[in-house]
Amino acid sequence: MATKKLDPLIEAPLTTEAVAVSGRRMSDSRPEGWINKIRYNLQFVRGRGAFEIGIVFVAIIVVFSIISAVNPKGFPFLKAENLSGVLTQSVPMLAILSIAVGILMVAGEFDLSLGFAITFNAIVFVRFTDMFGVWVGVIGGILSGVFIALVNAVIVVYTRIPSFIATLGMGFFWGGASIFINGTNAALLNPELTKDGNPFEFIFAHDFGTFRSQVVWLLILTVIAWFFLHRHKLGNHIFAVGGNSAAARAISINPNRVKLLAWTVYGLLSGFASVLFVARIPSVQPGGNATADFTLFAVAAAVVGGTSLLGGRGSVIGMVVGAALIEVIKNGLILAKAPGFYLQLFVGVTIVIAAIFNRFMEGKAS
Amino acid sequence: MINELLRLEKISKDYGPNTVLKDVSFTIGQNEVVGLLGDNGAGKSTLVKIMSGVVPMTSGSYFWQGEQITNVNRTETERLGVETIFQDSALVPQMSIARNIFMGREITNKLGFMKVKEMDAIATDVLDSVVTIEGIKSSRQLVQSLSGGQAQAVAIARAVHFKRSLLILDEPTSALAVRATEALLAYLTQLKGEGVSSVLVTHNLHHAFQVCDRHIVMNHGKKILDVRREDTSVEELTAAVVEGETGVKRFREGRF
Ligand SMILES: Nc1ncnc2c1ncn2[C@@H]1O[C@H](COP(=O)(O)OP(=O)(O)O)[C@@H](O)[C@H]1O
Ligand SMILES: [Mg+2]
Repeated sequence: MATKKLDPLIEAPLTTEAVAVSGRRMSDSRPEGWINKIRYNLQFVRGRGAFEIGIVFVAIIVVFSIISAVNPKGFPFLKAENLSGVLTQSVPMLAILSIAVGILMVAGEFDLSLGFAITFNAIVFVRFTDMFGVWVGVIGGILSGVFIALVNAVIVVYTRIPSFIATLGMGFFWGGASIFINGTNAALLNPELTKDGNPFEFIFAHDFGTFRSQVVWLLILTVIAWFFLHRHKLGNHIFAVGGNSAAARAISINPNRVKLLAWTVYGLLSGFASVLFVARIPSVQPGGNATADFTLFAVAAAVVGGTSLLGGRGSVIGMVVGAALIEVIKNGLILAKAPGFYLQLFVGVTIVIAAIFNRFMEGKAS
Repeated sequence: MINELLRLEKISKDYGPNTVLKDVSFTIGQNEVVGLLGDNGAGKSTLVKIMSGVVPMTSGSYFWQGEQITNVNRTETERLGVETIFQDSALVPQMSIARNIFMGREITNKLGFMKVKEMDAIATDVLDSVVTIEGIKSSRQLVQSLSGGQAQAVAIARAVHFKRSLLILDEPTSALAVRATEALLAYLTQLKGEGVSSVLVTHNLHHAFQVCDRHIVMNHGKKILDVRREDTSVEELTAAVVEGETGVKRFREGRF
């Protein structure tokens, strides 16, 4: 870009109004031609979460596809049922949770009670469905998520104890509460609801052959979450508070209110994911691993997708790709018939490498 | 006589057992540039934060154009048109320049969605005015990638864009190069003509003397000097800042 000359400013400094119609020095450097435009825009994408992990994701898909093409029997990655199961069923569940946890992390908060909360929300969903019908059940499950999140939020925001500790304690509480209201047996969803042709099944768990209902929900929620976090002023406030809450306060943003908002959004999404969880199983087991695992997998997905554990940084696309990456790797290991502990080894290493990588890229972001 | 814009009366501020400000009273006139001077720890930044409503005073009164403001907070001062460049810049490093400038005051449509292009363009224009800093490529750059001087320019641009009646600058030139500093000082003089007052906190007494109509010197949380430019000199201001009350006394006695 051309060097700026200061001389005219010293003689007659411009007002902002005057500048609106006068020379725009910084924008003089706008690039011409589409190649340059892409290159120009790329510099603002690098190191902000989604871009690098997206490349890794595509690379893994390519590698898996090649292996599968060469050896379709031994590694049936490209088989239609497999692709639809992974990309349109496993990924959506984790990705929605990843968005939920990611938005919370951008606000500088953290929830260790997620797995227990999913169990509790799912039980509320099943019980309400038995009592009042499925649609009231769905709303009940979602509101249960919001309620649990807001309890955490109020504790964290008004006592200022770290969310790490508060939600650790509350996790045990909701785990106990699940057994209290349900007993230790699995809560079963009315089997009528998941039969082919039932409206609930169609909306939340249908297999269309090449894809399943849940991926549609992921697409819808990704778009909404993206517009909320990256284009709405409230999303902007979440970044501001998570990045530097003192600076946000100095400009009259109320950090407590913003944190409550982030927790609410988190509760809505995690409550909804709880309903999706039951829709595909279709039951929930208090004290079971299936839900408990989501606590850390969701955080892992968000971190792999470039979300900072310290707040202020993250992107919805990154959160989704992070979840997709983890689920695809999981799938690859299962297809390769690797023993279960390989999965743990691999996911563990992926998280640590991603965190180190993100830390490195954060410094490079411009 | 100049019309008063902001009047503080007997402002005190305690941080726990420490009294940081004690019975400070002064007036900022309309169309006036006031220098707020004093050694490190004198209480200047605390006073700035009270004036801009981000820190509550322990006791004292706040008058705006003669009317008392009972509940001074940032929402209220924003309504009055007060903008501040804080000493610690108050920017969010992980956000872009444009997002920082419009933080909390985003340009949105009716539903609250931001007009990102418009914000970027205005941020660019604002940054190109007043203090132009070399090396900023775009208003979409993250603040964390900027140098100290560039970040300070962003904080200045933000305050300049939103100020309507009073601009408070807490050591705004500490990271600026000479020419950018001169541009900023010249701008303060120009603002006066547009009906915007300013308060300049600086360690550089020559700068203060060059642009300020009046000088207030703080020492250990108390106001020890409040003089118009015609009635003082750089030497006296230096004595007041360095030696405190004895400096003022020595100077005034020596002269009269
Ligand atoms: N948040 C705070 N808590 C406790 N003491 C503070 C705080 N802010 C400032 N102080 C104290 O108040 C005094 C004045 O500080 P400050 O207003 O920053 O002075 P100046 O800007 O003139 O250098 C200093 O002694 C400082 O340690
Ligand atoms: Mg200071």
